[in-house]
Amino acid sequence: MPVVELAAVSKAYESKVAVRHLSLSIEAGQMFGLLGPNGAGKTSSIRMMMGITLPDSGRVELFGKPFDRRSLDRVGYLPEERGLYRKMKVLDQLVFFGQLHGLSGEEARKRALDWTARMDISTVLDKKTQELSKGMQQKIQFIATLLHDPGLVVMDEPFSGLDPINATLLQDALLELKANGKAILFSTHRMDQVEKLCDSICLINNGEAVLSGRMREIKSRYERNRVIVEFDGSADFLKSDEVAVANNYSGHAQITLKPGGDAQKLLHEAAAMATIYRFELVEPSLEEIFIQTVGGKADA
Amino acid sequence: MRNMLLVARREYLEQIRGRAFRFSTILVPVLVIGLLGVSAFTGRRMGRGKHIVVAADNAALAADIRSNLLEDKRAEYRVDVVAPVTDQDREQLLARVEKKSIDGLLTVDDSAGDAPHVTYISQSSTDLLDTGDLKTAVSYGLLNLRLTQRGMTPEQVHALVENVPVETLQVSSNGKTGKGQGMAPFYKAMLMTFLMTMPILLYGLDMARSIVEEKSSRIFEVMLSVTRADDMLTGKLVGVGAVGITQIAIWLAAAVILSTSALLHPLLSGDIKIRFTLMEAIFFPIYFVLGFFLYSAFFSGLAATCETAQDLQMYVSLAVVPTWASFAILPFLLSNPNSRWVVAASLFPPTAPLVMMPRIGLSMPPAWQIALSVALLLLTIWAVVWVASRLYRVGILMYGKRATLPELLRWVRYS
Repeated sequence: MPVVELAAVSKAYESKVAVRHLSLSIEAGQMFGLLGPNGAGKTSSIRMMMGITLPDSGRVELFGKPFDRRSLDRVGYLPEERGLYRKMKVLDQLVFFGQLHGLSGEEARKRALDWTARMDISTVLDKKTQELSKGMQQKIQFIATLLHDPGLVVMDEPFSGLDPINATLLQDALLELKANGKAILFSTHRMDQVEKLCDSICLINNGEAVLSGRMREIKSRYERNRVIVEFDGSADFLKSDEVAVANNYSGHAQITLKPGGDAQKLLHEAAAMATIYRFELVEPSLEEIFIQTVGGKADA
Repeated sequence: MRNMLLVARREYLEQIRGRAFRFSTILVPVLVIGLLGVSAFTGRRMGRGKHIVVAADNAALAADIRSNLLEDKRAEYRVDVVAPVTDQDREQLLARVEKKSIDGLLTVDDSAGDAPHVTYISQSSTDLLDTGDLKTAVSYGLLNLRLTQRGMTPEQVHALVENVPVETLQVSSNGKTGKGQGMAPFYKAMLMTFLMTMPILLYGLDMARSIVEEKSSRIFEVMLSVTRADDMLTGKLVGVGAVGITQIAIWLAAAVILSTSALLHPLLSGDIKIRFTLMEAIFFPIYFVLGFFLYSAFFSGLAATCETAQDLQMYVSLAVVPTWASFAILPFLLSNPNSRWVVAASLFPPTAPLVMMPRIGLSMPPAWQIALSVALLLLTIWAVVWVASRLYRVGILMYGKRATLPELLRWVRYS
């Protein structure tokens, strides 16, 4: 049973179609990446999932049932536009959000204390949010999203604005949630993070899904036509008939083969001219797949 | 419902704990006491103990004016008489006014017969109290003189011009005739309009400002993922309304304690006594809550469409128009609380809470009018909350610019 399912969902604002016939489904224990350039329709899709806006057509299901606001108690949502009550004290804020998600005041307080200890911010419980650093506020938002132990975690651009330490902390926490069987959806335009973390993706552009499925399966659809060579000696092999484009950075070359180009033949030519330390036929990155798929159609 | 109450509780506790609440709760009574003190002090000092010289050709007239002035014990005048007066005396007296060795010179030239020439010379051009007192004293003096010249005895004149007290009586709706309260109803109507208007406006604006602030803190998207826009708006209205009622209750409690304590007794010992009836005590909270909901919901809808406090300012000046209209209607209200315009204003929802309450204080309106005004208010509140929650739902997620009127209409239609 999918934890969340969108079936042919569409949404238009005045003259602009934000989402068009979008379908996707996320299972428990799955990390799902919703990808696309800015303005592609990622946030609009998520808002329909969260009941913030209603789809013009199509179906949204949460936890195997048609959308019902009561299901939102089992969802943790970290929107791209982060927000906390600035003048509220940290502990009061966390308890408030826990209660809104159906926890009792006492239970929310207990969990807030556990989480803040885990995230190493117990010292700020009595401080107002506006007195804290941005990194600290992001940790509090993260806790508020997870305090009620949701079955579905939705994070819109979760890594934006995070320093490397907090980004790693968040990444580890997401992996732990996944290991605990939670369904996680995060939307981003940062392909490298998706590539590293997600099992499945849906790539949208101009409101439409242009590519979706399991990551491995998608990557296997694309030809391995990129070669990385580290060498010492003549670089004349880069002019080979097999090579379409080559960038040479003093002994480190990134090569794109011509369609039907033979990597083995190129290796022989290179070995004849230079000493080869590394010759790797790499699969296309998600970013390349994205550019290849969307091409010049992307807005961003 | 649970989330609405949680939002209301959060709003209430955050505001009650806030510095602004403590500050205004304490500051307003302190300011009122301060103003009362200042006005009592200045009122007592104003025009008191002045040294006036009455200069006239007729010594009897001058003495009579003097005794009339001295009759006003509160004014504590010192009055000297120079009569008959010569030109040289006049010049000397003028010099004394210039040197401020006397406060004023009253000259009465009765030589022209029936048209006496009276002047009062002082260094203060704004002493209205003095001129009022002087006019009365001179008029009585001249009247006394004329009538005694025509053969009446001073006792007969006194009996003729003695003040006739007019007792004001008020007939209540059940036909009973009771003692009127003089100027008290006027002050009570002013007080009620003020007590109703200021908190409604202040809390309505507070609500609007907090929505703009929350919008800029980007809290709404998180909130909308757990609670409905209607619950958020209603919770906020209930919470802020409860703060307003708490604050007014504290002020009233403070007023009751202070008015019965010895501390304020010297300040409140005037002639005017304002008493509130049971009906007023019942209807005040009802109209306050209805007025608060109406204006706050209206302000909230507007605030959701604004980006900054400056954007909001433009709307606020329009939103307070009905309140000023209520103050404008006060004179009509006082002269005839049951006139057509006053009845209309007490039924028209935006002005109803501000006009009906003083009306109840002055003369109890028919029950159907009260019932109709409450019903119309409830209906309007429902409509305003309906529109405001739609503006709110769309507006709080819109960033970047203030919405135009056609956009607002679209928001109401499609949300």
